[in-house]
Amino acid sequence: MSRLRALLAAAGALAARAALADPLPETGYGLPRDASRDGFRVDELIHFTLAAIAVIFAIAAAALVWSFLKHRRDHPAVYTHGTRASTAAVLVFVGVVLFTVDGSLFVRTLRDVDRYFWAFARAEEDPAAIRIEVNAHQWSWTVRYPGPDGQFDTPDDIVTIDAIHVPLGAPVVIQLASTDVIHSMYLPNFRVKQDAVPGMITRLTFQAAEPGEYEIACAQHCGANHYKMRGVLTVLPPDAYRAWLETATADARRAYDPDDREAHWGWPWRAEP
Amino acid sequence: MSTTAVALAEASQPIHPPPTSFWQRYVFSIDHKVIGRQFLWSGLVFLLLGGTLAMLIRWQWAYPYRPVPLLGGLVLGKSGGVIGPATYQQIFTTHGLIMIFFAVTPVLIGCFGNFLIPLMIGARDMAFPKLNMFSFWTFLVSQVLVLASLFTDLGSAGAGWTTYPPLSTNVGMPGLGQTLIVAAIFVTGVSSTMGAVNYVTTVIRLRAPGMTYMRLPLTIWGLWLTAILNALFVPVLGSAALLLLLDRNFGTQFFLAGAAAVKGGGDPILYQHLFWIFGHPEVYIMILPAWGIVGDVVSFFARKPHHWYRGTVGAMVVVTVLSAMVYGHHMFLTGMSPLLGKGFMLFTLLISVPSMIVVLNWVMTVWRGSLHFDSPMLWALGTAFVFGVGGLTGLFLGDISMDLYLHDTMFVVGHFHFTMAAGSFFGAMTGITFWFPKIFGRRLDERLLKAHFWVTLVFITLVFGGQLLVGYAGQQRRLFDPFQYTFIQGLRGLNRWTSWAAFVLFAGQFLFVWSFLKAVFGRHAEAAGPNPWQVTTLEWTETGSPPPFHNFDHIPLVVRGPHELSNPEVRDLTGRDFAGQAEVLPGGGEPALAAGKG
Repeated sequence: MSRLRALLAAAGALAARAALADPLPETGYGLPRDASRDGFRVDELIHFTLAAIAVIFAIAAAALVWSFLKHRRDHPAVYTHGTRASTAAVLVFVGVVLFTVDGSLFVRTLRDVDRYFWAFARAEEDPAAIRIEVNAHQWSWTVRYPGPDGQFDTPDDIVTIDAIHVPLGAPVVIQLASTDVIHSMYLPNFRVKQDAVPGMITRLTFQAAEPGEYEIACAQHCGANHYKMRGVLTVLPPDAYRAWLETATADARRAYDPDDREAHWGWPWRAEP
Repeated sequence: MSTTAVALAEASQPIHPPPTSFWQRYVFSIDHKVIGRQFLWSGLVFLLLGGTLAMLIRWQWAYPYRPVPLLGGLVLGKSGGVIGPATYQQIFTTHGLIMIFFAVTPVLIGCFGNFLIPLMIGARDMAFPKLNMFSFWTFLVSQVLVLASLFTDLGSAGAGWTTYPPLSTNVGMPGLGQTLIVAAIFVTGVSSTMGAVNYVTTVIRLRAPGMTYMRLPLTIWGLWLTAILNALFVPVLGSAALLLLLDRNFGTQFFLAGAAAVKGGGDPILYQHLFWIFGHPEVYIMILPAWGIVGDVVSFFARKPHHWYRGTVGAMVVVTVLSAMVYGHHMFLTGMSPLLGKGFMLFTLLISVPSMIVVLNWVMTVWRGSLHFDSPMLWALGTAFVFGVGGLTGLFLGDISMDLYLHDTMFVVGHFHFTMAAGSFFGAMTGITFWFPKIFGRRLDERLLKAHFWVTLVFITLVFGGQLLVGYAGQQRRLFDPFQYTFIQGLRGLNRWTSWAAFVLFAGQFLFVWSFLKAVFGRHAEAAGPNPWQVTTLEWTETGSPPPFHNFDHIPLVVRGPHELSNPEVRDLTGRDFAGQAEVLPGGGEPALAAGKG
């Protein structure tokens, strides 16, 4: 029976692999494709800000260009240090920008950060939440899953290098550490990023919305081979993810070596680091 | 009042005997004008060096793994002209450090601060002339340390200009080159602090009688506020550099954690706090002098008083205060407390208010003026443009949500190159083209300057705009070979075009080098005359070009603000459209001083 299950799991994993290509290149010069539940919140803010600064820039530039054309050398300069009206015009312009642009950025961001991007406790409340520990070092990402017992740093942990597998539609919480220098885990297709700092545990959360393979990048200069610190994040449909998990757990059990102390770097999951 | 005040000022001015030997006159000079020129030369040479390094970075992004033409064989002989990953990290690290600390700082602050502060406030010299000399020679030592680091076994520093530990400790950069660079940062910090104390004191103590704070040219406001920031925050950078040196060479562990922290260890983030509480004011240290210069120049070449002078001064003061309260936006991703992050985001968004007031006042000054598009004016308006683009793109990065995606991408690089690099470079060029006649007593070739301006404006926009675009598409900064990543592969063409724009930009700079050298050393350069731009401030109206050793024959008595242009009353009395700050108008008595308002 168990052999059959293993066989099924392997077939599932194979099927999942065949269905997925390597990370696809992006087309065009825009934002990378968004594969996450909450990335659109960042994209919307970016587009809003782009539109706002285009308007501000156009108003200032129009005034200047008009002046360049009309108020040349032969135009007599108007003698004024600024009138009450002109000063008020400046202040009103600034006030309008402050309330419409800065104000809405601030309010929206407070909400998004609290509810989504830094809402770690909220993500962990979900019973389906996936917990992962990542230890960064020059120049790769070592990844640890707690295994069936739910505890980190135990013999049934799954450990992978430069590869993270997550299921579609479940919140993922990653706790990050670093052995040597500061790294930064960057998932461009999920619009999130978090530094990995030696001596600290930092956190990152996201939820995948599109199956596929995506790149894990290092965003913080971490030495000569910083550019090679690349990994692949695979988003699997829930069934395929369970199949992968089973195969990987079986592999991990077989590969466990109690004497290899280097490999036992996991830490007890921190509720509030 | 006036005669007593002038007599008192004359008596209190530090008058030191004129130099008698070549060494005293040109080398170990205590004359602020000579020291200003020394800073200018040393800064311009390093500006070229930093620019050359930028070209190597751009080559790498356009044609990775291919030998660098021309320069490659010369400086990268061992690898056959190809840039390797270890060399590459040294190139971008030294590019950043050289541009910020050893090129822009000496030109904007060292040169203009020294040359202009005494002349524009009506003083004979700095408050501490000898300290001023030490400041320059200390600075020169730091430049020598930078050069020396290039010739060490493992090469120069490679931890990025921010020098974050633990990468910048022996864990990541064991070479002597990194030690020399950290020492250079410390030494240049000492130099900046000496200069800052001197500038602050000079502006407070040595203003000519009648030169109230509200009559100071905006250039002086910019330089003075910068000096205050320098005096407050450069020592913090110095302490961070010193602790880092101790970590590197004496076995302490202030900034070590992780596997290397065998004796308990410290905190790498502590360094980032020390660095950025200096580093964000540093952004304003580099832009405030440029703001001041642009404020004055826009007014002079629009032949119109600066719009709402008090508003601009107030905004610059507010920026100075706020600049120390926003630094956390560099650290949103370090795992800082969310509450702290939100506070820093609030202040960052608020700092856009004074910045907008400054820029809008430039626009209002230009509005309904009589615009003279001489080269300083072109550069001033160019500064407004690049700073505008840079400032507006900052909105994205001060916001936590967007920073999650854009942090450490080329978008950040494009943003701070528009503000700090283009903004301060354009500000410096505004100053150089405007005051060159005063500094050297000669005129620059206006046609060459205009060609240089247009080439620079167009191509600098393309280069830094290209950086913003690839950053928007997600490309991280500081990648030796960005195209390792699949999602960046589509940006290969954009990166290459940006590089070509950079090569043209660099080549175009030789138009300026040529016109500069021609005017300084050429035999046919036109003499400037005391006031070629027909403007109001003391250095133009009260002394010659170049000014004599003692600056002014008599300490001027200042009677009005710096922007008395196109005043109809003055035109009736003198037939000119400007009145010097210390000029007594014909007719005497109260009406003659009426133009003192503002």
